[in-house]
Amino acid sequence: MTLWGCLLFPSLPLDVFARALAPHDAAQPFAVASDGHPPRVVVANAAARDAGIRDGQLVSGALALTPSLVLRDRDVGAEARALAQIATWTLTFTPTACLAPPHAVLADIDGSLRLFGGLPRLVTRLTAGAQELGYASRLAIAPTPGAALLLARAAHRPAVRNATELPAVLDPLPLALLDLPDATRETLRNAGIATFGQLSALPRDGVARRFGGDLVARIDRILGRVPDPRVPFVPPPRFSGCLELPAPAQDVEALGFGVQRLVRDLADWLLARGLGVTHLTLALTHERYLRARGVPPTVVPFALGTPARSMPHLLGVLRERLVRVMLPAPVEAIALESGAASPLAGRNLGLLPGDDSSEVDVPLVDRLRARLGDGAIRRLVPHAEHRPEHAMQVVTGGTALPAARASLPEALRPLWLLAEPQPLDDLLGRAPWILRDGPERIESGWWDGGDIRRDYFVADTADGKATVWIYRDCRRGLDSDDWFLHGIFA
Amino acid sequence: MVAALAPLLAHPAIWRGNDLALELATLPSGFADLDAVLPGRGWPQGALTEILLAHEGIGELRLTLPALVQLAAKHRDIVWIAPPHLPYAPALAAAGLDLARLYVVSCKTPQDALWAFEQALRAPECGAAFAWLATRDERALRRLQVAARDGHTWGALWRRPGQSGSALTAPLRLALARENGQLAIRVLKRRGADLAQPVRLGLDERLPPRSRTPFRSCTPPPESPRAPPSRAGTAPP
Repeated sequence: MTLWGCLLFPSLPLDVFARALAPHDAAQPFAVASDGHPPRVVVANAAARDAGIRDGQLVSGALALTPSLVLRDRDVGAEARALAQIATWTLTFTPTACLAPPHAVLADIDGSLRLFGGLPRLVTRLTAGAQELGYASRLAIAPTPGAALLLARAAHRPAVRNATELPAVLDPLPLALLDLPDATRETLRNAGIATFGQLSALPRDGVARRFGGDLVARIDRILGRVPDPRVPFVPPPRFSGCLELPAPAQDVEALGFGVQRLVRDLADWLLARGLGVTHLTLALTHERYLRARGVPPTVVPFALGTPARSMPHLLGVLRERLVRVMLPAPVEAIALESGAASPLAGRNLGLLPGDDSSEVDVPLVDRLRARLGDGAIRRLVPHAEHRPEHAMQVVTGGTALPAARASLPEALRPLWLLAEPQPLDDLLGRAPWILRDGPERIESGWWDGGDIRRDYFVADTADGKATVWIYRDCRRGLDSDDWFLHGIFA
Repeated sequence: MVAALAPLLAHPAIWRGNDLALELATLPSGFADLDAVLPGRGWPQGALTEILLAHEGIGELRLTLPALVQLAAKHRDIVWIAPPHLPYAPALAAAGLDLARLYVVSCKTPQDALWAFEQALRAPECGAAFAWLATRDERALRRLQVAARDGHTWGALWRRPGQSGSALTAPLRLALARENGQLAIRVLKRRGADLAQPVRLGLDERLPPRSRTPFRSCTPPPESPRAPPSRAGTAPP
């Protein structure tokens, strides 16, 4: 016994554009037109339908009704990508989902009912989730994938859980819902066969002889008499999301909503594949006339300290990073691509309210790195070297700290090291300094050209106010007067 | 009458002017003499501490290291923002600090440093945030104080020698100076009664002792009775 849910997206051609709109902009009349001749309206949004625009209407007629109508050419490629993205999201509910082009996704939800707390709750989550993604959807539940698709097209909302109920529900449905070849449908219509029930009641061998065995097998699969194997959907190995903006964005803040949509898609993809991402690239494509003049897209790379999957985390980092981006020109489309990703274990759900750690904050290091740049966050590791300025390794970027294997010097070292040793000139000559420790001879580094020969002393300055680390540069002789300040015992 | 008041005054929510305030959470500084004069007997977690210096190199960082070592051992992050010099890893590691917990942030502008300080103070994973800032902008400092309170982070605002602080915001203000070879900590402000006498810590006693004879560059340094540490790679004279 299986149970299939079919999510049908009747206004997908419209939604691939409209989902980039912030909700408050959605009240504008908006329609997608076919590129045939003459062009016709494929789908119109609610505001446009209120103005009297109908699907299939000529574009010229629609513009006459509503001169302010925003029109976009239909983008079949974007629709296919959107359907794949929806299928990826469906995989967060079920292990098996498959595409039913052009506008539907099928999901085997039988095994998920218990986890999500029963059918009504799962239905609520699926429909609410699709709406959150920005797609209008119709959901139908049936024991076979074919029947689920038919019921979704017929907008039959009550769930059909048992295969024995199927004929009663399907019989009144018009044959137009079944994708039949035009010739077949014409012949059946001339014979007075208009509904699914009439077709399935016809003698099987007769139908097979006239229309081929295919049609009989299809009816059998829809009614669950024979198995209906489907090719399961496998999410792509890399995430690549693209969003065309309905209107060019002038500043970074206008991109926020679109970026949020893409990050949401990315988070679904990561969850479906069980991955966490560490590197991301956001590409902002500029307006077409500028592209022609050779203005390259603005590419914004991101790096995260630890593999991340949660949407608030990713969004927090992207927001901070975007603030620093200067746009040379208005942006027409945004694309988000995943770079390196690594497996990330799932998270246990909390047993008690309060121990659910779902409100993960963006780690501090990621936030700092996003705004200040990779090089601004430094970590320090002791390094096995005698030269004081080389006895420390500075690590930037998100890499893990190398294990500190260096044996530490036995002699005293200052807490502050000056980036450049400061010449003391005749400071020592003017007033006596007070010696605490030394000399410590450090002579090393002949192999890389940075060789030093120094006598280090711990000393108090003449006024006794500070304890510092000074050295005499002995390269010109053991009693040279080249004294330098190199550290402060803070 | 007084007898009737006594149990009332023992209530933990009541403090009198000559008492120290009760800080909710503090971090033992590792120096008993200093803890004794700090409200809550330690560095305040969830408040800003402003530290003024008479001079660099008097043991100011060594004063804070024991608390930082403890924090790092508890897997809390330590963030240093815009330090005036390079923190020297061998010395920090020798003091027992887990360097995997230390993040040093360099900022191009004072605004960035303020922002980073506020983020660090708010972050739950951050136990101590030190920043070397010159700002005396009351609004910015108040923001930082609120961030420290919300994030339960020990925020230390360091002033370079010669920089004056801002008396209004930070609930704990210390001025450090070296007096007679000791670190003298003057408590300029605390939640509680004023402290007239500075606390003196013999931090420098952990350094090698001062030699009797001063040395000048023109005279060769007096031979130390201690043999210079022998090190591989150092050439014999």
